Amino acid sequence: MGDLTEPFQFEFFVRGMVAATLVGLLCGAVGVYVVLRSLAYIGHGLAHSIFGGAVVSFVSGISFYIGATLWGVFTVLLINAAARRRQIGGDAAIGIITTCAFALGVALISRHGQFTRDFDAALFGEILGITSGDLAVIGGVLVLAAAVVFAFWKQLLFTTFDSDVASTYGVPVPWVEALFSLVLAATVIASLQVLGATLIAAALVIPPVTARLLTDSFTRMFTLAALLGGASGLVGVYVSWFIDVSSGATVVLLQGALFALALVWAVARSRWPGSGSGERLAAIEGAAID
Amino acid sequence: MVELAPSAPGHRPPPHPDGEPLVELRDLSTGYERTPVLQNVDFTLRRGEFAGVVGPSGSGKTTLLRAIAGQTRRFAGAIEATPRAGERALRLGYVPQVEAINWNFPLTVGQAVLLGRWREMGWRPWPRRHDRELLANILERLGIGHLANRQIRALSGGQQQRTFLARALIGDPDLLLLDEPTSGVDIKTRHEIMHLLGELNRAGTTILMSTHDLNAVATHLPRLVCVGEGALVADGSPEEVLTPEVLRRTYGAEMLVLRRGDAIYVVEHLDDAMTGDAEETPVPVAPVGG
Repeated sequence: MGDLTEPFQFEFFVRGMVAATLVGLLCGAVGVYVVLRSLAYIGHGLAHSIFGGAVVSFVSGISFYIGATLWGVFTVLLINAAARRRQIGGDAAIGIITTCAFALGVALISRHGQFTRDFDAALFGEILGITSGDLAVIGGVLVLAAAVVFAFWKQLLFTTFDSDVASTYGVPVPWVEALFSLVLAATVIASLQVLGATLIAAALVIPPVTARLLTDSFTRMFTLAALLGGASGLVGVYVSWFIDVSSGATVVLLQGALFALALVWAVARSRWPGSGSGERLAAIEGAAID
Repeated sequence: MVELAPSAPGHRPPPHPDGEPLVELRDLSTGYERTPVLQNVDFTLRRGEFAGVVGPSGSGKTTLLRAIAGQTRRFAGAIEATPRAGERALRLGYVPQVEAINWNFPLTVGQAVLLGRWREMGWRPWPRRHDRELLANILERLGIGHLANRQIRALSGGQQQRTFLARALIGDPDLLLLDEPTSGVDIKTRHEIMHLLGELNRAGTTILMSTHDLNAVATHLPRLVCVGEGALVADGSPEEVLTPEVLRRTYGAEMLVLRRGDAIYVVEHLDDAMTGDAEETPVPVAPVGG
């Protein structure tokens, strides 16, 4: 029994676990909008782009959070501007801008010597290196995201469901989209230390998709995605202590396992007509429903 | 043109009631990005009218609706609207084509309809009692009161149209814009939708709808606007605009127009009618609709 409580003796571990829980919750909730708008790629791209920003801020000697925020906002605005040009298209715009930003980070690292521990953390996450300052940033972003989602719940929902029609009903769609992009960028920045650039997209996508398999209600999907994200952060970090595996990877693998369970459950239920699971499965696959 | 036989006076209301102009398009050229879709359009819609927009695919029907909804780029000319006292813009109820709706989105009928009232619901994410009462009333009025908690995906074609009609109506619109409300629905549903729209118009709602369906829908509307190759070809009552000459300029194809008093029937496949095939597909000569 003593073994099971062993990690709690260490303050850095408790901080890491709290950080992973909050980041899981944050990514799960924000990810609902990402998934429903089919923007999974933007989360992935943004994380890689912000890695470039992290390197630039390290090389130029400014704070990671200031550098990454400026970089993140710049990238988001650039993606939005490029995506509006129909000749390019959103996915190509994201691909070009974010990979170039990532490549810039890698180029700067190769110019300035080897991978340091900091860059390792930015790429793969280093949860046990979380400081109370990092924790304050994560908490701040969570409060910001919660405030934006609460205050703009209806506008976000309408824009996510159908942005074209939302604007005919007077929703200021460009503003809502810009505000959401900033929340997404802040989420990615706050999550970088915990999950790393390579794993953030998973935390943004897996809990919402799992929640979608389990419910047909937007409100329940939102709540469930946040809870699944938070719980997998908490449990993932705790388990990672005992199995001696990278905590970010354990969190994501746990989310993957929960998704697999939900999928099995949905497939099993779809055999009973009227359960709705068959349709939900099709919805996840993006298939058309007659 | 083939005149079949005289019959009783028309049952349609006059095409231009004496209402004040609600929307005026003056010499408007409009479209998307750098491409004008509609050129030099002059069009006035008065309060209380029920008008249809017909024309081939890609002619600019949807663009005309979207221009009125303020969703297109204006290259030249002017759009003037007369909002109600104390308001800056017209209240629009927009019903998109069913094909444009993401049916996999996790929304119930109630949630979808309440989106049309997002502004009036204030800052709260959840509806107040008054909003819930309004929702119940509007669903009841459209005959879908029992479906408030049903997923939008699990609805029949007619129920889907009613749901999005309810979303348009719950915001108490000055103008109802409908994009192909009868496309892809069966005959019974089409009849129900047209009956419902007729009732709404008689109760005072101004309606502008696009349609592909010349015989079952357009001929029954008080006013028709023909759009062909990005320009307004004709504007008037069905008796005035449904002529072989106007249809040739609108659709670029030869069509036969059969009339029997108040009833009009457009033979869209003239080649068939002029050859032996016509016997296999008899051309109706009795009044349609009524």
